[in-house]
Amino acid sequence: MNIDDLQGLLPLLTLAAGATALMLQIAFARNIKLTSFLAVATLLAATLSIVWAGESAPRFVTPLLRADKLALVFSALFCVAGAVTAILSMDYLNNRGDEPEEYFLLLVLSTLGACVLAYASHLASLLLGLELMSVSLYALIAYPDKTKLPLEAAIKYLVLSGAASATMLFGFALLYATTGTLQFSAMAQQLANIDTGNITLLVASVMIVTGLGFKLSLVPFHMWTPDVYDGAPAPVAGYLASVGKAAVFVVLVRWFIASNLFRFSILIDCIALLAILSMLAGNGLALLQTNIKRMLAYSSVAHMGYLVIILVVGSDLAHRPLAIEAGMYYLIAYTATTIAAFGLLTLLSAGKSQKENIQLHDVSGLFWHQPLYACLMLVALLSLAGIPLTAGFVAKFYLISSAVSDGRWILLGSLAIGSSIGIYYYLRVVFYMTRRVEEHKNIPEAAHGLIEKFMTCTLIASILLLGIVPQSLMEYLRSILQLVN
Amino acid sequence: MNSLSLIPALPLVSAVLLMIGSARLSKRVVAIFGVGSVGLSALIVASVAQDFLTTGEVQTATLWAWISVANFTPGIAFYIDGLTVVMMSVITGVGFLIHLYSVEFMESDESFARYFSYMNLFVAAMLLLVMADNLLLLYLGWEGVGVCSYLLVGFWYRDPNNGAAARKAFVVTRIGDTAMALGLFLLFTELGTLQIQPLMAAANVQWSGGGTLPVLATALLLGGAVGKSAQLPLHTWLPDAMAGPTPVSALIHAATMVTAGVYLIARTHELFLLAPATMQAIAWLGVATVLLAAFAALAQNDIKRILAYSTISQIGYMFLALGVGAFSAGIFHLMTHAFFKALLFLGAGAVIHCLHHEHNIFKMGGLRTRLPVVFASFLIGSAALAALPFTSGFYSKDSILLAAWALPDIGPILWAGGLLGALITAIYSFRLVFIVFFGEANTEPDKQVGWKIAVPLMVLCVLAAFGGWIGQPLSEVFPATADFHNVAHSVEYIGIAIPLIGLLIAYLVFLGGQLSVSKLTDSSLGKALQNFWRDGWRLDALYHNLLVRPFTGLARLCRNEPVDIFYNSIVSFLRWSHRGLVSLQTGELRWYATTMVFGLLLLVAIMLRNAS
Repeated sequence: MNIDDLQGLLPLLTLAAGATALMLQIAFARNIKLTSFLAVATLLAATLSIVWAGESAPRFVTPLLRADKLALVFSALFCVAGAVTAILSMDYLNNRGDEPEEYFLLLVLSTLGACVLAYASHLASLLLGLELMSVSLYALIAYPDKTKLPLEAAIKYLVLSGAASATMLFGFALLYATTGTLQFSAMAQQLANIDTGNITLLVASVMIVTGLGFKLSLVPFHMWTPDVYDGAPAPVAGYLASVGKAAVFVVLVRWFIASNLFRFSILIDCIALLAILSMLAGNGLALLQTNIKRMLAYSSVAHMGYLVIILVVGSDLAHRPLAIEAGMYYLIAYTATTIAAFGLLTLLSAGKSQKENIQLHDVSGLFWHQPLYACLMLVALLSLAGIPLTAGFVAKFYLISSAVSDGRWILLGSLAIGSSIGIYYYLRVVFYMTRRVEEHKNIPEAAHGLIEKFMTCTLIASILLLGIVPQSLMEYLRSILQLVN
Repeated sequence: MNSLSLIPALPLVSAVLLMIGSARLSKRVVAIFGVGSVGLSALIVASVAQDFLTTGEVQTATLWAWISVANFTPGIAFYIDGLTVVMMSVITGVGFLIHLYSVEFMESDESFARYFSYMNLFVAAMLLLVMADNLLLLYLGWEGVGVCSYLLVGFWYRDPNNGAAARKAFVVTRIGDTAMALGLFLLFTELGTLQIQPLMAAANVQWSGGGTLPVLATALLLGGAVGKSAQLPLHTWLPDAMAGPTPVSALIHAATMVTAGVYLIARTHELFLLAPATMQAIAWLGVATVLLAAFAALAQNDIKRILAYSTISQIGYMFLALGVGAFSAGIFHLMTHAFFKALLFLGAGAVIHCLHHEHNIFKMGGLRTRLPVVFASFLIGSAALAALPFTSGFYSKDSILLAAWALPDIGPILWAGGLLGALITAIYSFRLVFIVFFGEANTEPDKQVGWKIAVPLMVLCVLAAFGGWIGQPLSEVFPATADFHNVAHSVEYIGIAIPLIGLLIAYLVFLGGQLSVSKLTDSSLGKALQNFWRDGWRLDALYHNLLVRPFTGLARLCRNEPVDIFYNSIVSFLRWSHRGLVSLQTGELRWYATTMVFGLLLLVAIMLRNAS
């Protein structure tokens, strides 16, 4: 390992060093201001380090990690998302629990896990990253331990996630038995000689897909999602829904491309089945939800369903570049939008009233009471629904055009049905927000610091910018994906 | 940031600011924003035009590509050639004068800021329409001006009649817009681009003249143009659109928006040249509209409705010009018409403003001495409208009629139709002047016009009188038209004489009293004809019986929602499946784990079944 290798790992090293520093700082003196500052500084420093790390990319750093532009872009995304979550959490935590310092430590560790996933080029590093991220998340979910609900959510997530990991590990073992390697690109060479009907390999890969599908909450592995989101603190739920899913999806795509699993058409058919089920069931479940967190949970199930379409489209070599590009853009847009939607819930829960589980009627009249925050929610919801001029529209447009070019009509039909159901429940929140309410007594007291307002404006601007001038980001993604492919 | 982008951006930004700050800004500030932004745009347009006239170079500017998927790359991009320069100058120049005029006209209106924000938004959208380098952006502007027209026609929305007029304007133009959208789809699927210049080049290569595709595509575009420019058979919205404030009628329903259809055809003229059948249809439509609207104008009593029908009729001339291939003559008439019709509308607005909102011309009279400035502007405006020699309207109308004459076969018929229209035009314009400004005073004006009204009137007077000498840099844009020098002199003399004869008839009937109009109107046939024309040839009633009644009848039939049974069943199916799915979310960990295992088993089973 030489200095260039270390340079390629700079974001990971920064996060690890920051986590160590945080741990020591908390051990010596509890100071929430210092801790939160250190955490945000670490995450931002890791984001900035991408610039230097990019100079030595692409390269393999040990067989475990591959430092390329794709890894760096998504590391940056996760670090920024982590930083936004940390900033939005400050007020939320200040009005709850008395020792919130470790929350920030866990957040940094979880982000480290997500970044490792973005770098992973080996099933071992995949597992390491996944567990580092998940174990931190168990603790984060249960962090405000005053009530029963977060604890219940954490335990549910812990048990089911453990089962999913075990399934995945079993899959790894079978895969190793067939190919003799766990490294993605080495696996590709072995797989090239294997018959597409090889039973061990098919079962192995479907078990791994099950494990990862659990994290992505694809139907039928989605049952935990609403309960965990509902129980988790709002900022953590936002983080789990955005970074927690994006990281898993990135590594799934990497594995599929590097090992060229697209050859196994029956596996692709299974993924298509999961996609259709997720799109229909996710939207169907969200339809009449009055609890906004649960609604967003089901909507995330549907969005993951949309997203895995790109794996199906990618199985056709001719359309793979467009499909992967569409998927990556979708991930970025989805992350920004989800952070924004949960950001509003965080802001509404952050006030002294400590209101959790925001219901529809809690936001009625929000437009007249908190216009800025209502705009944040409006933009996020329109983006989730895929209305033009938002990030979600461009992302969905991209996704659909890639699927159209490949002629995946059944998937497109499910997507169309799912999206049209989606419009109903997204716009319902908007209708509630614009209601004229005589007394705004329902609306929970919201955080109203300068920094929250600044974050709100930034999130609105980023979603709109992604929707209005998407071209430069698309071109950048296209250029880095050419290297990956 | 390109200075070109500032031209539409300034009014747009001002419109947004006025919308946000409407309650907080004083009228003075609103006026400065509203008028100033258009004024600044006009200055930038002037410098762009100056550049263009000296260098003669087509300017293009791409601000950004909105999206880029496969070969579909619509950009936010501008294309500035001679045609665009003419249109931009008219929009910002006349627009600025009308904005200035509005400051006084709308002074006492409580929604002053709302008015100016809509007007600025309109100017921005109209500029976008003429500056766009691709049809998609043009369509954005096209719909934008439609929305602004809707908002401004229904500006005084407390009166339900105004709301109905706004709705009518919107719905009727929508028929045309739909045709136009279909045309754009067709062009894109056939030629693979919506950028105007490459599109026309591709059409010239791929399409043979007179084929089905060019005729279909241009017919669809023509549908859009007919709706927007209030030509037969979609003209019925324009007379009702007079419900808006008068400066709005001057800007939108005389000078700019209604000529967008003319612009569209001129802009894509190479497509139309490939479709002789469409060209001929345009010419016939033009002549028919000229005559129909001119006769209708003759029978109106409402000062603004006279001008509205006159506008329809004059745009008919522009369509005639386009149809006979004299594109520059059409654009020339577009410009001069913008001058004299804006002048007439603003003059009419001044009369209405000073006369307690009176619209009926028979309750006016004798205003010649009481409102001298307005009288002068009406006199010059009507002279130009009637195309009396040496006014701006004379030059433009004359070149249209000569171009029509020069066309083989049907040329003389079109020419004769246009000439008859010119005669009627002269009669109705001077009927208006003689009744309103001469004779006995029936109503005394309660105020005089201030400088903000007088200055725009005077500037437009000059333009209407001498605008015919403004040269237009269109030679690069359009193919050269036929040479008129070998046209017989007698044809030219007839063209000059006809408006004068019309003036004489109007004098004899409405001022001198030598010919009595009452003899004509008293006979039962005359009365019927007069009423028939006053109602715009009863086309409204016809459409009402033919289209609206069956539609509302159908709607009544469907009141109990027979069709909705289908949709309602979808809704209940979705609700039912939602409940079914939610009942699975028990919150019990063991059940969740079980479903996971079943899911895994299902997948493994599929694998085992398909494994070899």
